[in-house]
Amino acid sequence: MNRLVGWLVRLYPRAWRGRYEDEFVAMLEQGPVSIRDLFDVALGAVDAWLRPQVLYEGRLVMVARMRSSVLAVLWAWSGLVVAGVGFRKMTEYDDFVQAARDDMLVGVGFDAVVVGAVVALAAVAVGGVPVAYAALRKGLAEGRKDVPLLLCMPPLFGAGFVGYVLVLVNIIYPALGRIAVHSTVNVALFLSLVGAFLLAALASAWAVTAAVGRVEVGGRILRFALYPAAVATAAMVVVLVGTTVWDLGLLAQAPALFSGDEGLLATPAYATWLVIVVVMAVSTAIAVVASIRGLRARRSGHASSPL
Amino acid sequence: MDDEDLGLGRFSDPALFVLVSLAGGQKHGYAMMEDIEETCGARPGPGTLYGAIARLERRGLVEPLASEERRRPYRLTAAGASALERRLRELEGLAHAGLGRLATA
Repeated sequence: MNRLVGWLVRLYPRAWRGRYEDEFVAMLEQGPVSIRDLFDVALGAVDAWLRPQVLYEGRLVMVARMRSSVLAVLWAWSGLVVAGVGFRKMTEYDDFVQAARDDMLVGVGFDAVVVGAVVALAAVAVGGVPVAYAALRKGLAEGRKDVPLLLCMPPLFGAGFVGYVLVLVNIIYPALGRIAVHSTVNVALFLSLVGAFLLAALASAWAVTAAVGRVEVGGRILRFALYPAAVATAAMVVVLVGTTVWDLGLLAQAPALFSGDEGLLATPAYATWLVIVVVMAVSTAIAVVASIRGLRARRSGHASSPL
Repeated sequence: MDDEDLGLGRFSDPALFVLVSLAGGQKHGYAMMEDIEETCGARPGPGTLYGAIARLERRGLVEPLASEERRRPYRLTAAGASALERRLRELEGLAHAGLGRLATA
């Protein structure tokens, strides 16, 4: 139980922990901790995030804002990746490929999505690797095992997902033979694939966020990371616009195709597209807000001083 | 103690309990929990207690003292004592009015 309490206390914001953690843990160690207490501690953590009573001072505010902005862009990008994979899966059908060849607008929209996705990936890598490396170095210097373990999770989750796809493609589907698109087995397997991908993406984003949040990453690295984050955000806007242009082109050129059952799992294409574009729009909006907030913090006087 | 001004929200009751507890002398968190349970009949959870303490400390109504083996005692400030007295007078007035109406009903 005490271990669980220790884990729950880590859910509190860094500023809160800096001020209250020692005495809070000492209080919890004085008596038995009930399940109700655990819930109360968890609710207290939510409250401490939503209504912070302990604030960072001066330049620490700016560093905290830059870090949260960089991490928010990472989460937003993860959302875009999930939606983007859905878009890629939907547009691999022959009818859509042909439409992209025949109609300039559809083709331009699709190319914009691809270019935007590649640029966003590169920008996230350029900005994310130095931050992750700095967190790793700091974690190792402080003798923390959790930070390197957390940073190992994204490649492990990625490998796990790829392994699952290989098992599906090379073992399970061949063993099942020919199955209908709407059959229970196929739907279940597809949903398991989507679930595995979502789990890998969200758990990876969480692991990086947790690792970076547990050690002090220098302001200089965060100031640098905000530029690639802004580039990634711009690329996400391109992807969103490309997806919309693709839709408009398809509506103009082949409306029957758009309203047909060419969506994922033979669902209506417009429904699949709508879900994809909503996820993309929300992710992009989060990235835009986070980038603006981070760049403002970067330009402020506190952030310009060397840390 | 005006909850709107202090922005205590759902922490107004726990905050009041903490102030009442500290009115009896300085205490650390665990002692506060036990005292509140004894005085008010309800034991606040640890997260709720420290949510209230953080709010009161930020508003200058309680202040921390030096740690004693990781346990940090708190005491009421003059502003805290004044806010507590004001709030208790309000409650006293409310209780008086309510009991009076019940008696004549």
